[in-house]
Amino acid sequence: MNGGRILVAIGALFAVALAHNVAIVTDAPQNREVANLLGWVLVFSVVIFAGVAGALLYTIVRYRRRPGDDALPPQFRENARVEISLTLIPLVIVLVLFVLTAQALVKINRPIAGAHGVEVTARQFWWDFRLPEEGVRLSNELVIPVGRPVEAKLTSADVIHSFWVPSLAGKTDAIPGQTTYNRFMATKPGNYYGYCAELCGPSHANMRFRVIALEPDQYARFVEALKAYRAPEPKTERARRGQQLFMTRCAACHTVKGTPAAGVLGPDLSILGNRLTLASGVVENTRENLIAWIKDPTQIKPAAQMPAFPDLTDADLEALADYLESLRLEGFDFSALPRF
Amino acid sequence: MASMTPALRKPWTAVLWEWLTTVDHKKIGILYTVTAFLAFGISGIIAWLFRLQLAHPESNLFTGEVFNQMITVHGAMMLFFFIIQAGLTGFGNYVVPLMLGARDVALPRINAFSYWTFLFSILLVLSGIFFGDLPQAGWTFYYPVSTSLGSAFYFTAILLLGISSLLGNANFVATIYNLRARGMTLWQMPIYVWSVLAASILNLVSLAGLTAATLVTLLDVKLGLSLFNPAIGGDPVLFQQFFWFYSHPTVYVMLLPYLGILVEVASTFAKKPVFGYRAMVFAQMAIVLLGLLVWAHHMFTVGESVIFQLAFAFFTALIAVPTGVKLFNILGTLWGGKLEMKAPLLWVLGFIFNFLIGGITGVMLSMVPLDYQFHDSYFVVAHFHNVLMAGSGFAAFAGLYYWFPKFFGRMYDERLGRLHFWFFLFGYLFTFLPQYALGFLGMPRRYYTYPTEVAGLLPLNQVATFGATLFMIGGLIWLWNMIKSLRSGERAPANPWGGWTLEWLVPSPPPEHNFDVKLPEKFESERPLYDWEKKGVRLEPEDPTHVHLPRPSLWPLFTSVALFLLFFGLAAYPWPNAVMLLGALLTVAGLLGWALEHEYADPETDHPTRSGKSNAFMGTVWFLSSEVGLFAILLAAYIYLRLSGAATPPAERPELWLALVNTFFLVSSSFLVHYAAHDLKRGNRSSFLLGLLVAIVFGVIFLAIQTYEFLVAAGHMDWREELWAAAFFIVVGLHGLHVLIGATGLLLAYLQGVFGKILPQRPGTLESASLYWHLVDGVWLVIVALFYLW
Repeated sequence: MNGGRILVAIGALFAVALAHNVAIVTDAPQNREVANLLGWVLVFSVVIFAGVAGALLYTIVRYRRRPGDDALPPQFRENARVEISLTLIPLVIVLVLFVLTAQALVKINRPIAGAHGVEVTARQFWWDFRLPEEGVRLSNELVIPVGRPVEAKLTSADVIHSFWVPSLAGKTDAIPGQTTYNRFMATKPGNYYGYCAELCGPSHANMRFRVIALEPDQYARFVEALKAYRAPEPKTERARRGQQLFMTRCAACHTVKGTPAAGVLGPDLSILGNRLTLASGVVENTRENLIAWIKDPTQIKPAAQMPAFPDLTDADLEALADYLESLRLEGFDFSALPRF
Repeated sequence: MASMTPALRKPWTAVLWEWLTTVDHKKIGILYTVTAFLAFGISGIIAWLFRLQLAHPESNLFTGEVFNQMITVHGAMMLFFFIIQAGLTGFGNYVVPLMLGARDVALPRINAFSYWTFLFSILLVLSGIFFGDLPQAGWTFYYPVSTSLGSAFYFTAILLLGISSLLGNANFVATIYNLRARGMTLWQMPIYVWSVLAASILNLVSLAGLTAATLVTLLDVKLGLSLFNPAIGGDPVLFQQFFWFYSHPTVYVMLLPYLGILVEVASTFAKKPVFGYRAMVFAQMAIVLLGLLVWAHHMFTVGESVIFQLAFAFFTALIAVPTGVKLFNILGTLWGGKLEMKAPLLWVLGFIFNFLIGGITGVMLSMVPLDYQFHDSYFVVAHFHNVLMAGSGFAAFAGLYYWFPKFFGRMYDERLGRLHFWFFLFGYLFTFLPQYALGFLGMPRRYYTYPTEVAGLLPLNQVATFGATLFMIGGLIWLWNMIKSLRSGERAPANPWGGWTLEWLVPSPPPEHNFDVKLPEKFESERPLYDWEKKGVRLEPEDPTHVHLPRPSLWPLFTSVALFLLFFGLAAYPWPNAVMLLGALLTVAGLLGWALEHEYADPETDHPTRSGKSNAFMGTVWFLSSEVGLFAILLAAYIYLRLSGAATPPAERPELWLALVNTFFLVSSSFLVHYAAHDLKRGNRSSFLLGLLVAIVFGVIFLAIQTYEFLVAAGHMDWREELWAAAFFIVVGLHGLHVLIGATGLLLAYLQGVFGKILPQRPGTLESASLYWHLVDGVWLVIVALFYLW
């Protein structure tokens, strides 16, 4: 029958998907625990699935009523031995799995001494990161060192969100008025996809972010440069006009280091030129996207809290884009990092 | 019998009137079933539409708010209006009384009221469209995202549905305890009846969680009154504790009746008795118990302590064992049988396969570190559709095809039934297996768009949408089958499948009074027809003068419309408003008409029950268990907020002496009601009426004093600023509302007394009203201790 072939096709699809790049099975320490548990449970699952599905198939083939056979089958009502074993076997399996779960859980939730602290504030619909040790702020793209455990201290400024970087660790909710922790470590440099995993409003799907993991020495250089960073003076006339526009129209909400712009309602734009994405990980950081965003953010992100600026002329927008693109730390280009 | 009397065509108005005023459990069962499957169809179409968006993530078909409204309505409709209803209130209403050998349910008018209220709660959610207030925070309406988005229509609809389902559940329990055929013990009931009993009890015990969560969020939207608001020290996670305290157990409310159906179908089509009957019943009770202890596994990511998470992980893993027992025993029932491969059985076989996968992935989810990854990802979406759609949903179709001939007196089209099955099976495989993979790839749920550059997301989503299309085709085949079979299906015999439970004894469809024969008073197992046939028992015709059916009544529908108006007013406009007040007045008027109407044409006949307790008593006791739960949950939350230091009483609190005066009035009134009932029993009518009247007056005095107290308290405590004040107004105010409802109940009993409807041997509303009143009294004493003394 066709059904079998279709099942094989789905299985193959599964296999391809799994072999390809399975976010949650990586060698990041938290995910190693996940992979380990997954291995155990898959072994039991395959055995149970084969057993029960096999019994089902056997029943269907063997106990189908033959035409003309109207006699009643044996009317047995129970079989204590079978019933007790079919209760005990699953019981033992779930107990074994529970013990494994408990071990892994304790390990995952243990606070790590000397972890790299990050303060995360989730907002509709973007992410704010502060590195208290380094005294710097990053928005929507968190930069971390490879090989050092990170302890993200989460909270929310409005509704409940959830911080999730599948390739690094499981998720933790960010709750208004409360503090929660998500612990992870990157084992290789890369550009990791992050998501909000708790429905938070119309643009829940657009509340993404990136974690950029750098080799320790590169990270150290990045942090030093960022600490010392002051926004460069605009070099062209148009960029200067952009700067003026920014200071009158944008500075109430956005911060640019080294300028009077110190608003905190919106993301920090100090090094927007280095960012790979705009609108919290939703679109590539290109000039067209930047202009489209400023014109009307809700076109890219429904219900975005940044107001539209329909009164800005095309020339104004070009000027603003010039200025924003000039805000960058020279010598740091993350676009070639592998994506996970 | 239906085929013998040439049906005289009634005018459609008469038919409509008959359905609007019916109290017949079979008609109500059909109404529930049709409404539930209609809800399935509508939310299925919605699902297919948003799957189109997901197949083209860059498109703007349904984005943002609209997409969120679609997933919310899809989830809420499927869960609240389809899957909870079809197997329990739909088939249950039709089949349970038949299986028990009864002529109707214990409380037929309550039953009609439950149905209409259920229907109106659907209409209430949908009427939000006209006020721009369709829910969009997910069916789980987490705080505070839900309150920030309005959702008042959704909250009130859930509260309205809660009233409907509590009454329905209490009715089932009372029916099963009181109306079993003479000689049928609990252990001789069909498994399906057991499963309806278990699901009803579970719902009665747990629903308070949903009521508490919904009530507090509604009060937050309407009055700024909240226990969850973090700005004043409230705890948003508390909302989730409330919500999941109900919403996990309800997963088993969505499963247990269906397991019962599967067992019945398996037994009939394998021509064998149920395998491991007792083990099944115990497994079911274990599920009820464990089901109440696993709710926080939906909250592993909120940052609770490791011990807390482990405890819930343990019970979650453990619940797989009784669930496994059920699955194995369904398989055991088929094993060694002679399987009749008809549509109902196909759905059972499909269920076993699907539920096996769903069960295994459920165990994976109980492993907390895996849950950190799978939670709110597509893995979880695949898992719960696996157990609910391809599990309970398949069982709903097993039941539909199984009982279709009984319900409608016609056979369905077997070929179309099979085709429907295969489309749904492959629809399910294509839609949901890829979603497990999507979970592994890190795709969060409730996303209308996703990064297509992440390998695998786009193709897997497109396969899922293809699967949803198969579902749509299967749905159309099903619809065609239903229409065709209803119009021109072959006439169904009484027992087309050779079933052995009592519903197969009566014609298809059964006459209004169900049984034309007198049932023997000796039952040997849950398969009476098998046992009687084997022993050669001959069934004697029943003496028609023994048949007493409740009369049709318009009051349930009237009261339900009035209640709808009240809840509509609560949702649509600021409080208080004319619509809600009018609704409240009409509700009382409806109850009055109801209370003064005779249920049976001949009010003198006795209707003995198996337990010896009246149906009203039995129903009320079970109903009240949910009220106890509601106060217990709210008080537990208050104690938690108080102990954690979040809610500290202000220096100037409501006066203790005033509360003590109120205690005097309430406690005295409880004694008065008690002695009034005694007076009634002794036939002392005038002192019964006087006692009741004074009790009502005391209740009114209580309310007057409390209103005064609230006005004074509102002058010096701001509930928007102080958590303690919010807790005080919510809990004490809710109790005040109960006093008001209780006093109305007493008033109904009093009027029944005045108009001579209450007799010493038939205490009417008095039994229910006095039980309710005593409960209100008991709760008050706890409130005095916790809010005035502590």
